[in-house]
Amino acid sequence: MATTTAAVTLTSDLLSDNMSVTTSTTCMKAGTNADGLDQMDMGYIELASGTQKNLIDATALGVGKANKVYICNESTDETYYIAIMIDGMAIGHLYAGDWMFLPWDANDEAADIEVLAHTGTNKIGFACFHEGRTLLAVD
Amino acid sequence: MATTATVTIASDIYSGFSGISKTMTLTKAGTLNDIEETTGFSRRRIASTDQIDLVVMADLQVETADSKAAKVYIKNIGDGKGNIDKSVFVAIGLGTIGSAGTTADYQEISNLYGGDWMMIPLTGIDATGDIQAKAETDDLVVLEYVVFFEA
Repeated sequence: MATTTAAVTLTSDLLSDNMSVTTSTTCMKAGTNADGLDQMDMGYIELASGTQKNLIDATALGVGKANKVYICNESTDETYYIAIMIDGMAIGHLYAGDWMFLPWDANDEAADIEVLAHTGTNKIGFACFHEGRTLLAVD
Repeated sequence: MATTATVTIASDIYSGFSGISKTMTLTKAGTLNDIEETTGFSRRRIASTDQIDLVVMADLQVETADSKAAKVYIKNIGDGKGNIDKSVFVAIGLGTIGSAGTTADYQEISNLYGGDWMMIPLTGIDATGDIQAKAETDDLVVLEYVVFFEA
């Protein structure tokens, strides 16, 4: 079985007692306890300000699955940011240096993960760990 | 006052993948100034398949700034007694309560399986930015979560 693990360490001193959370999960296929995700896509793009594109397409084979997605805004200018959307609905903004990690069930084929760049040309790194997606047909 | 989050991803799916490790400091929108507001760490017990409001933006004691910098961390910790079934999930979405399926007022993001965690940015907008949760079954599931945001 392929094994993919995702861990996070979260620390904050906003409260009077410091908060520290560390956790890790092994990424499994949908509905299973022992069968790990076994396919992945990874990329790095530059997206000009004002441009909205599908970053990761939801495809028939990926619908309802236990996909895991990592996205990072690798820009270094703190005024740069990208808006993250799923099927046109705003999720939030990733500012320069920010990352996100989400399970993405791609609940239908329109549930693409979309990005809209602001301020300048943003540099975006991403990875999707999954159990299959529909490949494009040959032109 | 700083809040940091470090993600580490390892995988043997592809031999050429050397892993991901990234640390971010949570800052206010478009600045290097640290985020200063948090809900604090919370947990919610869910024992039905009803869709519930996990976080209602309008109910936070400090109002979130709309479309600025906000992040949420959520983890499905199983039944809260150490029993984690990775085949059972809670659907997490954004939008208004009671909106079934994917509509203009609700967008499902993901199924958060037992033991899984997520950390995503939020708009912080009242109603459409509320975090919804809906368990797959009526078995007890406990979610732990914390929101960091800009006021």
